Amino acid sequence: MDIREERREAIFIVAPKGRVDSNTSSALETSVLGHAREARLLVDLSGVEYISSAGLRVFLMLARKVKEAGGRLVLCSMGASVRQVFDLAGFTALFAVEASVEQGLSRLSL
Amino acid sequence: MTPLGGTPDARAVRDLGSLLEVSKALAVLVELDPLLKVILDKATEVMEAERSTIFMHDEKLSVLRSHLSGQIKRDAVLLHLGVGIAGHVAKTLSLLNVPDAYADPRFNPKFDKETGFHTRNILCAPLLSRDGRLLGVIQLLNKRDSAVFSTEDETLLLAFASIAGVAIDRARLVAEVVESKRIEESLRLAHDIQMGMLPRAFPGRGVSVHATLQPARGVGGDFYDVLAQDGRVWFAVGDVSGKGMGSALFMAITLTLFRASVEGAVSPADVLTRMNRGLARDNERAMFVTVFIAVLDLGTGTVTCANGGHNPPYVLRETGVLECLKNADSPALGVLEEATYANTDFRLLPGDGLFLYTDGITEAQAPDESFYGVERLEALLRGLVSSSPAECVDRVVGDVNRFASGAPPADDLTALALRRPRG
Repeated sequence: MDIREERREAIFIVAPKGRVDSNTSSALETSVLGHAREARLLVDLSGVEYISSAGLRVFLMLARKVKEAGGRLVLCSMGASVRQVFDLAGFTALFAVEASVEQGLSRLSL
Repeated sequence: MTPLGGTPDARAVRDLGSLLEVSKALAVLVELDPLLKVILDKATEVMEAERSTIFMHDEKLSVLRSHLSGQIKRDAVLLHLGVGIAGHVAKTLSLLNVPDAYADPRFNPKFDKETGFHTRNILCAPLLSRDGRLLGVIQLLNKRDSAVFSTEDETLLLAFASIAGVAIDRARLVAEVVESKRIEESLRLAHDIQMGMLPRAFPGRGVSVHATLQPARGVGGDFYDVLAQDGRVWFAVGDVSGKGMGSALFMAITLTLFRASVEGAVSPADVLTRMNRGLARDNERAMFVTVFIAVLDLGTGTVTCANGGHNPPYVLRETGVLECLKNADSPALGVLEEATYANTDFRLLPGDGLFLYTDGITEAQAPDESFYGVERLEALLRGLVSSSPAECVDRVVGDVNRFASGAPPADDLTALALRRPRG
């Protein structure tokens, strides 16, 4: 799993690429949970082509940790199939979701 | 030459005899701890040293960890590669003979101070695997009778170390095999326990039922259940996030909670709410489980169902219509303690059926990485609207396995079908 990380001013961006399944989710977990203390965290999901329930769990943990640390998390650029997995599990409402990186950045800049 | 060995030839014969003896002793030992003890005892004896130590190389941490001989009980000593006499040998991978320890700047007198032992001289050699990897270091302290270690001793220790290296290498390989067998065995046991939790016999009167669960990696997180209760039959299908031992344990808790919650529950939404509260409490790892629950009234054919983030099941109408029970957007269980769930009612006429499944079916992948998908499942089910539950389940699972064409399944796969008998 290839995970790109970038800081744009006060916002930290994590962009995983590829499939997030039970084989790759622990790598993603280690990476994103390491940034759970960022005050403003944007996860760009445009590069994620598939996400399994093990992958969803990583984002649930991340949301919980960011909340505990008093930070803000936005997920953006979900593809249709990834969005469907979030929707089906009933988790979309638990996250702040934006259509693009720009919209995600502007939401976090508020 | 040597003070005890007599002529050089006599010494060579004696040394060879000692090595043979060591070799025989080591050949029968396959466990690392007793092996290291024998290596130390034999080294002390053969090399005529006062004390010997083996430092094992920890590849992960890149340190040497002491393994002491005799009755000395104390914490293991950690040495960094390149530090001290043993560390130096570990770094250079070559033997070191130090005739006067206190005159050598690499010698660390700290351990002498702590133990009251006085180190005069040291002979130290690397223990290598067959392919030349560093396994550890063997260190001998103080040649007996106030002597120093000779060049013959150096040769003898090198021969000794190569025999010991092979034995340690073999012990490690055996330990790895034993460990993987042990894990395999415990996974098999867990699989048996897990499968034992699922019902195999189904209520025969009023409804016919068939179900199958195909785990992906020994143990998994899928489950199903069928419970008959006062003229009603409860059905549940669920899928725990992830797989492996953690998911299997979470699955066992979920199934137990389901059975406990059905007692005295009025509806599936009620059961999901209770289960969710139980699972969401102290769920540090954010494990979650998608669950679909339906209860069929055997008298009226009324089905009440509720869905916690699970793949929507299908109603198979005998008339040939396939209906998808779309989600009510309720979250999977275990995440939000305050989540609420809603019931949906519909009626199964005699001859109508239900098909419940987990995403191991729709997300099964062909070797070209394409997914089985909902469309393929729906197309197949349309042809099975009047089939028996057993035929329904077998046809779907068979089709998925053919689609995957031998690719190892990435996820557990569960299918449960039921049908109200005609008349």
